[in-house]
Amino acid sequence: MANIDIDAPGTSQLLIGNEAIARGALEAGIGFAAAYPGTPSSEILGTLAQAAKEMGIYAEWSVNEKVAMEAAAGASFAGIRALASMKQNGINVVSDFLANLVMSGIGKGGLVLVSCDDPSAISSSNEQDTRPIAKWLDIPLVEPGDFQETKDMTRWLFDLAEELGTLCMLRSVTRIAHARGNVRLGELPKKQLNAYFDQIHDLKSVMPTTFMPIPSPLRHSFLHMKMDKARERFEGSAFNRYVGPNKADLLIITCGSCWLYSQDAVKALKLEDRVGILKLGTLWPLPEKFIGEHLDKSEKLLFVEEIDPFLERSVMEMVANLPPSSPRPIFYGKRSGHVNAYGELNPDRVIKAISTILGLAYQPRDIEYRKKAEAFAKSNVPERTMTFCAGCPHRATFWAIKNALKLDGRGGVVTGDIGCYSMALGPTGFFQVRTMHCMGGGAGVANGLGKLGQFGFDQPVLAVVGDSTFYHATIPALINGVYNQSDFILVILDNSATAMTGFQPHPGTGMTAMGEPTKVVSMEALCCSLGTHVEVCDPFELKGTIATLLEMMAEGGGAKVAIMRRQCELVRAKKEKPPYRVHVDPEKCIGEACGCDRLCTRVFLCPGLIWDKKANRSKIDEVICTGCGLCVDVCPQGAIIKEAV
Amino acid sequence: MATEAKGCKELFSEVIETGLCALCGACTGTCPYLVYYKGRIALLDNCALLKGQCYEYCPRTYIGMDVISQQVFGVPYSEEELGTAKEMLMARSTDTSMREKVQYGGAVTTLLSLALAEGFIDGAVLTRTSDDKTPSPFLAQSADEVLQCTGSSYMACPVLGRYNQIPKDNGNKLGIVAMPCQVLAVAKMKKDPPENRASIGNVKLVIGLFCTWALSPDRFYQFLKENLDLSKVKKFDIPPPPANRFDVYTASGRTSFPLEQIRKFTMPTCTYCLDMTSEFADISVGSVEGIGGWNTVIIRTDIGADLVEMAKKKGKLQIGKLPSTNLTHLKEASLLKKKRALNEIVKKSGDKNNLLYVGLSPRLADKLLA
Repeated sequence: MANIDIDAPGTSQLLIGNEAIARGALEAGIGFAAAYPGTPSSEILGTLAQAAKEMGIYAEWSVNEKVAMEAAAGASFAGIRALASMKQNGINVVSDFLANLVMSGIGKGGLVLVSCDDPSAISSSNEQDTRPIAKWLDIPLVEPGDFQETKDMTRWLFDLAEELGTLCMLRSVTRIAHARGNVRLGELPKKQLNAYFDQIHDLKSVMPTTFMPIPSPLRHSFLHMKMDKARERFEGSAFNRYVGPNKADLLIITCGSCWLYSQDAVKALKLEDRVGILKLGTLWPLPEKFIGEHLDKSEKLLFVEEIDPFLERSVMEMVANLPPSSPRPIFYGKRSGHVNAYGELNPDRVIKAISTILGLAYQPRDIEYRKKAEAFAKSNVPERTMTFCAGCPHRATFWAIKNALKLDGRGGVVTGDIGCYSMALGPTGFFQVRTMHCMGGGAGVANGLGKLGQFGFDQPVLAVVGDSTFYHATIPALINGVYNQSDFILVILDNSATAMTGFQPHPGTGMTAMGEPTKVVSMEALCCSLGTHVEVCDPFELKGTIATLLEMMAEGGGAKVAIMRRQCELVRAKKEKPPYRVHVDPEKCIGEACGCDRLCTRVFLCPGLIWDKKANRSKIDEVICTGCGLCVDVCPQGAIIKEAV
Repeated sequence: MATEAKGCKELFSEVIETGLCALCGACTGTCPYLVYYKGRIALLDNCALLKGQCYEYCPRTYIGMDVISQQVFGVPYSEEELGTAKEMLMARSTDTSMREKVQYGGAVTTLLSLALAEGFIDGAVLTRTSDDKTPSPFLAQSADEVLQCTGSSYMACPVLGRYNQIPKDNGNKLGIVAMPCQVLAVAKMKKDPPENRASIGNVKLVIGLFCTWALSPDRFYQFLKENLDLSKVKKFDIPPPPANRFDVYTASGRTSFPLEQIRKFTMPTCTYCLDMTSEFADISVGSVEGIGGWNTVIIRTDIGADLVEMAKKKGKLQIGKLPSTNLTHLKEASLLKKKRALNEIVKKSGDKNNLLYVGLSPRLADKLLA
């Protein structure tokens, strides 16, 4: 991660979008930042936490997004500028608080929410556009279209939030968050921050300061007034601009990374004198006057935006309200089918849309060239599906779960959750996970399945959840299971890391975001305090783990907890040498003649084991193998040998 | 005709899912996919092999009785009620201290101990009743360990899985004490030796037990657990007819269950089993109707004859003549089982010419079905 606290105003730095957001927040003088990790948002808090001590600010990884947002609001109430960042799913987690916060208003410190969406769900369970929540909540929303804007918008948004007294939201997407560009730095503030919860904030008022949504109708009307003011600001914003001819054959209305794709497309088609681009940076409330001034540029409007037709619908609403004599443009976009209604966009997709509308011959990229490019890109990529790392404790856990469920024989069901172990719905987890929705959702679903005994349901139910997810959103579901005696086993895959998002600390790790040691919140102590049966297993002890799971399934009787404890292999490998040197004995491995049907390389599927086609037997890929030794217990011939290092 | 080359998919569709599995254990032990657990063969993962030893040695996949008999005895399958036999007699151990623990006359324990002592075998694959009274396979390598395996629980036990687990480079000579279904599986292995396992040639002695049916190790065990303090049980017994009881001996005496109550826990496959006296064993051993403390012994092979002769000479076994009425009853019972089973098989297959796994000459089949 880049140093975002370089005090060199006017110089340019190469920053990824998330670092630009963090830098913008520092330039705005924030004192408080909180987040829960989630791709593509994680580097915002990651870089802020790194710079926190130097900059004299506070940054934390909160237990979940809701607490992060609430904590940031707390800072705002005491006059400190604060930022909360999260991926799209976090917005759902935090929405109840937000819907009340917009009524209460923020404190004297500007409060900014950053939401990073993941079009095409490259690193997500779902594809979701969070822009509509701004409309739903009545909050100002901006979206940067390049890296400079990302930094500048973030900085400016704190001023706007304080001026309006309301939460402001910045939406980013993966290709902004994780792509890199030049950013010209601004000044870093030098002033000392003072936090104080001002009990009487208005000298004329004798009423104590309160932050609450009631009386709601009154506060709702205030909120609308704030939004009118926001619209006024947006009308003149430099983040909105038009580039193109005065009279165009086509007007593209776009925002965010799609602005970049649109510019590329127009340039590639050499249509700069025929197609204009209206780029919006302030998306909600819609700068209607500004847009209205450009609507007569063309009879044809093409909306280029990612995920939902947010601008497309909003401009439609706006046009519907124009006087009868106004021009009635034709709308092209997701509704018309010219732009895909889901998934990421790219310049080629925009080229195709423009070509179709303008009746140009669409020239897809030369097939031969594409083939060559793909072959080149793939040349250094190993051929395999998504998989747990070599030595990953999750592989052992799911091996144990699979075998335990098969031995139990009642068709046990595994409900899943969000983390590396979500991949267990595929071959790397032996297809064990059957449901997967949101953080904590698996345990919730298990609560329902576990109460169906009266309808003849006798399948064991296992809810798998990671350690970080356990703290994040699973505890209420576990309490519910204990209280309502739902028959399921909560299997906590405790690898002592938030591994999927980059090893951020969590309450079980004993470390804060700023690198300070802290109390470990013991998950077994917490579970034991609920008065339920808690077991701790080392998943690498396959036999014992299988036996424990079988016993727990057989005994029934309400929600129970099995903690599978073994450190994430990537974390371990950074600190220690491999425990074993592992090799396949070519005498003992008899390959296809074994009758094991290539168990290790066909079913077990550790990437450290490969099938040597020439020798017709398995072998260890010494580059990949981490020496965990688990496969030794899987080979029925005892052909895999481990020697302590 | 040999067993068709098929894999575990067919083992499930033809045997396990149709209730024919005898839990003999022949498909378990080496295979990482097929595992015995609590009265079931569980399939841990999808095995895509089209041909598997699991299917090949299953005693409920096709068995050409003549071919197997030819392999074991050098003659086609006998039409006699008790199969190929050299001699039928009564025997009991001369070691009186053993009698309380053993079933009837203690002939099996005595013969095994002798075989071990004489170096005839180095170990024997047996069934041991563990402290919780569940039966589990056990490789006994001393007379003491053989003694740990005395008595029967009457529950099916995957003994052959233990044989399969013996490393293939292990050259120890082995004995196996087995139920008729397991003896069939061993005979199949003798005919076409398995690969990647200890050599079937190492199996020097097969002692087969008489069996009319075995009990489900899952359902019957549950029944016992609900009705008894299993930790106090010393011995189970089904005394010969007309007792019609299942007896459980504890320190404080005997608890009996009517056989009718027990019968519902029998393995479904036993209905389709023709073999009461382990017809492909070296020696078959059972009780003697009406005469307590003795075993009926059927000597079938030279190896069996030599061992019994040695036991007699060394004074380990007391030998008696099997009364002719006992022999007649035994033959009747054995024939009845064959007839009943074959008729049940036809009922199950729905076709007089489809005898499922049983490969009999048409003449003998017709005779038994008549």
